[in-house]
Amino acid sequence: MKPARFRYLRAESVDDALQALADNPDAQILAGGQSLIAMMNLRLVKPACLIDINRIWNIGYIDEEGDGVAIGTLARHNDVKHSPLIRERCPLLTEAYESIAHHTVRNRGTLGGNLCHADPSSEAPAVMIAVGATLELMSVHGKREVGAEDFFLGTYETARRQGEMLTEIRIPGRGADGWAFAEISNRHGDFAIAVIATTLRLANGRCEVARVVASGVGEHAARLKPAEDALIGRPIDDARIDAAAAAAAGAVDPHSDSHADAAYRRDAIAALTRRTVSRAAERCG
Amino acid sequence: MYVGQAIRRREDERFLRGRGRFVEDITLDQPIAHAAFVRSPHAHAAVTRVDTAQAAAMPGVLAVLTGADWTAAGHGEAEGVWPVKDMSGAESRTAYRPLICVDGVIRCVGEIVAMVVAEDRHQALDAAEAVEVTYEEKPANTVTARALDPDTPLVHPGFGTNEVMVTEHGLKAETEAALANAHHVTEVVVPTNRVTAASMEPRAYLGHYDRVNDRYTVWTTNQAPHIVRRYFTKSLHIPEHKLRVIAPDVGGGFGMKLYHYPEEGLVLWGAIVCDRPVRWVGTRSECLLGDTHARDHYTVGRMGFDENGKILGVKFETLAAFGAYESQWQASITNAYHFTMLSCAYDIPAIHTTVRAVYTNATPVDAYRGAGRPEAVYQVERMIENGAQEMGIDPLELRARNLIPPEKFPYQTALGISYDSGDPPALMEKTKALADYDALRDEQAKLRAEGQWMGIGISAFFDMAGAGPVKMMNDLGAKVGCYDVASVRVHPDGRITVFAGSHSHGQGHETTWSQIAADRLGCDIDHIDLVEGDTDRVPMGIGTWGSRSLSTAGMAVYTAADRVVAKAKRLAAHMMECAPEDLDLADGEFTVKGTDRKLSFAAVANASYHSGDRPPDLEIGLEETSFFDPADCTYPSAIHLCVVMVDPETCAVTLRNYWAVDDVGTVINPMVLHGQVHGGLVQGIGQALMEECAYDAESGQYLSGTFMDYAIPHAEDVPSFGLDAHFTRALGNPLGAKGAGESGTIGAPACICNGVTDALWHLGVRQITQPMTPRKIWRAIEDAKRASH
Ligand SMILES: Cc1cc2nc3c(=O)[nH]c(=O)nc-3n(C[C@H](O)[C@H](O)[C@H](O)COP(=O)(O)OP(=O)(O)OC[C@H]3O[C@@H](n4cnc5c(N)ncnc54)[C@H](O)[C@@H]3O)c2cc1C
Repeated sequence: MKPARFRYLRAESVDDALQALADNPDAQILAGGQSLIAMMNLRLVKPACLIDINRIWNIGYIDEEGDGVAIGTLARHNDVKHSPLIRERCPLLTEAYESIAHHTVRNRGTLGGNLCHADPSSEAPAVMIAVGATLELMSVHGKREVGAEDFFLGTYETARRQGEMLTEIRIPGRGADGWAFAEISNRHGDFAIAVIATTLRLANGRCEVARVVASGVGEHAARLKPAEDALIGRPIDDARIDAAAAAAAGAVDPHSDSHADAAYRRDAIAALTRRTVSRAAERCG
Repeated sequence: MYVGQAIRRREDERFLRGRGRFVEDITLDQPIAHAAFVRSPHAHAAVTRVDTAQAAAMPGVLAVLTGADWTAAGHGEAEGVWPVKDMSGAESRTAYRPLICVDGVIRCVGEIVAMVVAEDRHQALDAAEAVEVTYEEKPANTVTARALDPDTPLVHPGFGTNEVMVTEHGLKAETEAALANAHHVTEVVVPTNRVTAASMEPRAYLGHYDRVNDRYTVWTTNQAPHIVRRYFTKSLHIPEHKLRVIAPDVGGGFGMKLYHYPEEGLVLWGAIVCDRPVRWVGTRSECLLGDTHARDHYTVGRMGFDENGKILGVKFETLAAFGAYESQWQASITNAYHFTMLSCAYDIPAIHTTVRAVYTNATPVDAYRGAGRPEAVYQVERMIENGAQEMGIDPLELRARNLIPPEKFPYQTALGISYDSGDPPALMEKTKALADYDALRDEQAKLRAEGQWMGIGISAFFDMAGAGPVKMMNDLGAKVGCYDVASVRVHPDGRITVFAGSHSHGQGHETTWSQIAADRLGCDIDHIDLVEGDTDRVPMGIGTWGSRSLSTAGMAVYTAADRVVAKAKRLAAHMMECAPEDLDLADGEFTVKGTDRKLSFAAVANASYHSGDRPPDLEIGLEETSFFDPADCTYPSAIHLCVVMVDPETCAVTLRNYWAVDDVGTVINPMVLHGQVHGGLVQGIGQALMEECAYDAESGQYLSGTFMDYAIPHAEDVPSFGLDAHFTRALGNPLGAKGAGESGTIGAPACICNGVTDALWHLGVRQITQPMTPRKIWRAIEDAKRASH
């Protein structure tokens, strides 16, 4: 199938886009189109109007901000993947990009579009939660910020409101935190069967802060608090890692589909937790 | 000599520059209208109402047609090319795939209920959405293994059963006795997963009716254009001479593009009704659903060994899915290509097989690269592997003890097929050396001690390629004659056009047929053009499938070229006043042996058309046609060996190494051969590790309708292949060539599954259903753990 009829508007600036969003409540933003156009071609979604933001010249940046980074919503996947700044300041994202989509898809697809799309098995949402990113949303009424942890609400569902556009993704400085990303998919570059993104901070040999975030095993990416609790306040040794893995498996309630069944996904989460926690611990500076 | 050289493919110039001409690229002097189809979302349903009024009134719509219109117009359905016979001799329970739903019953998802023809594609799609269809859903079954269970819904209740037919082959009593007396019996239950070709170019058709001349034309993504005319005699009742079928450049077929698909007949019908050319180009989703699917066997097998691991007998009981209807070539799998190959490369005294073909509420199954042989090899090789493991004999060693020795050729299998030539032990020696097998086993032991799971897989097989001869294939059920045709036309300037009944859709015939013709005609390869895929230009043809083109059409080129040379020599001898036997032909010149007297081929060609000075009994012109009926099938053979690594935590499989040693007889072009082997291997690897046409077992819904759900391997998913060849000569054709198109898909699934089994045997795993995705392996390990507690 090819798309149903729609109106097409092109925004030249962010203000333009926000005004168009306000004027056309039935509109959807078109970023890289790598998820939206595919769904429109299958007629799974039939937006009455598209607002194309690809011509807005100043929202594709990847900039330093303090000791962190600020990423414009239109930054293409491949630009983020190959950015030396991201590699230095958010290597977890660089590592995750090894598993995100394929080269041609990454040339067009955007990080902002990926987050707004909120696919339940997408990698970037897990990374954003694990690094404590903040998302900036704008509308004609102004600007607000939402923590990544509060942004993802369900399958294809986010805290973004009608009339709002995601404009910027801010990632705080990493300090000496360790990180690791691991995923299982049926084929490299496919959507994940299970994902874990982990960040750890050690103080005096003990785990001070832990974020263990899963994707692909629920309606949206989410922290696995029991796994984090199993780590916090203790040295990260094999016993702790096993405990965190077991806690992670217990904390998810995955679904079964034609790619994987629930029991396998739970076991996979344990394996991925074990891997990421031990690697993240080794990487703590 | 051109034959044997890795000449660059002549067709690649246009393909690599994006200048190929596919069905979607065809332009006509009339504007082309577009068709869109309304398809059933249900696997089994009664259609209680079809309301086309709203759709018919939409902008640009030229016609909305339904099954009722089809029936009213008196149209029918295409017949099978390989009609099924029950072993009892009784008629099988045949229900051919209808082009459009005519009886109010939907039997699989995607079945066409209505066609919209509109000025453009978008108008057609919008109107198709506006056709209102009311369905009454019925219980469906898509699971082959359940097809004959007593409570399974019937696909065609009129037959009173889901069974299409039963066939038995081989030596029943001998096999039973062999199993009863065996020292060890291995039993396996092996389903072969349902997959589809997923060709790069989706199916596409363009139909045109020329009212003035009362002639029809169909441009089609098809591998056998002359056979398409035959289908139309029954679907739209068009006599063969009134229909021109053109298969232009076609982007991959793999067997899947051999059939009379509903859309092919319907676009021509639309063109007749609307008096406008009508085109349809399939979307990926329509094709993943509506292209014929393949494999989908469910087999229980038992293999008996003596105490030295020698195979005494094998017995197979198979359920073979037909899907909801019989597709035109489907029975060639069950009745010709599957059972015949169950001896693989092994000397097995007693084999018996029973196949029950069954209907399910799923897309029809038909031939796809390998067609029956991948299933056969998988079924046999899984038993050999498990047998070796159970008996504690090295799997390669056990195979070596059972290979057919060279002195037994021609080798008569227990299934009555005779392999003309081959040398499996030599293939095995080469494979062993290429892979450094003993070192691999040492590495495996070392890694296992470190907790890493490495497995080594092997498969060894024969392929039945190159169908005919006509009589043999008739005896196996074919209604079409399995020969092929070529004309060699020498123009007055000495340049040559070759017309062949084969059809290249990736195989590179423009290169390889020209290599053969240039050698026979002693001319420059650049002086030869090839025409295929047009029934108005090529006299006749049976098409490209089953690794047959070289040993049929290629040999027709060879033979027709030789006839041209014989005639040209007579004329040249007349002109040079010598005997034809005194002439040599090379480099475009006739030379009188032992002299420096020469006459150019071009001068002879010119004289053949324009000179009255010729032998009195020699006809004017220089053009010959050969209808080539081979003396035998060809029997290529190969041995594959692979190394897999299974991740102990995530259960993901990495295919680390893959080696294949092929015996394809004479090689025309080694580069083209490697291309065939590579492509086939990747498709076989896909079947083993990721591809599956999946249905929801409860609702019958199709779950593999996009490339997000149907995974085919990427380049990075496969290792660099290690290939080698061994030569024995085919006896059924003058070049000694065997087929080479299917080796990869035939050997790879068994080889990889054996590798994974080998990696996990120590954990108690005995069988993993393909595709071996991480969760299937995880499940198999979990089940094995539970069983051992
Ligand atoms: C073959 C293939 C494989 C893929 N594999 C993966 C994978 O492994 N992992 C993965 O995560 N993704 C994968 N993707 C999806 C890819 O990452 C998409 O690019 C991404 O999800 C969407 O980004 P986009 O820029 O293309 O957004 P679009 O498709 O243009 O938009 C997606 C949605 O976000 C909305 N949107 C976009 N930008 C904004 C904004 N600034 N403000 C508000 N709303 C906005 C749109 O309205 C739409 O609803 C794959 C895609 C394909 C085609």
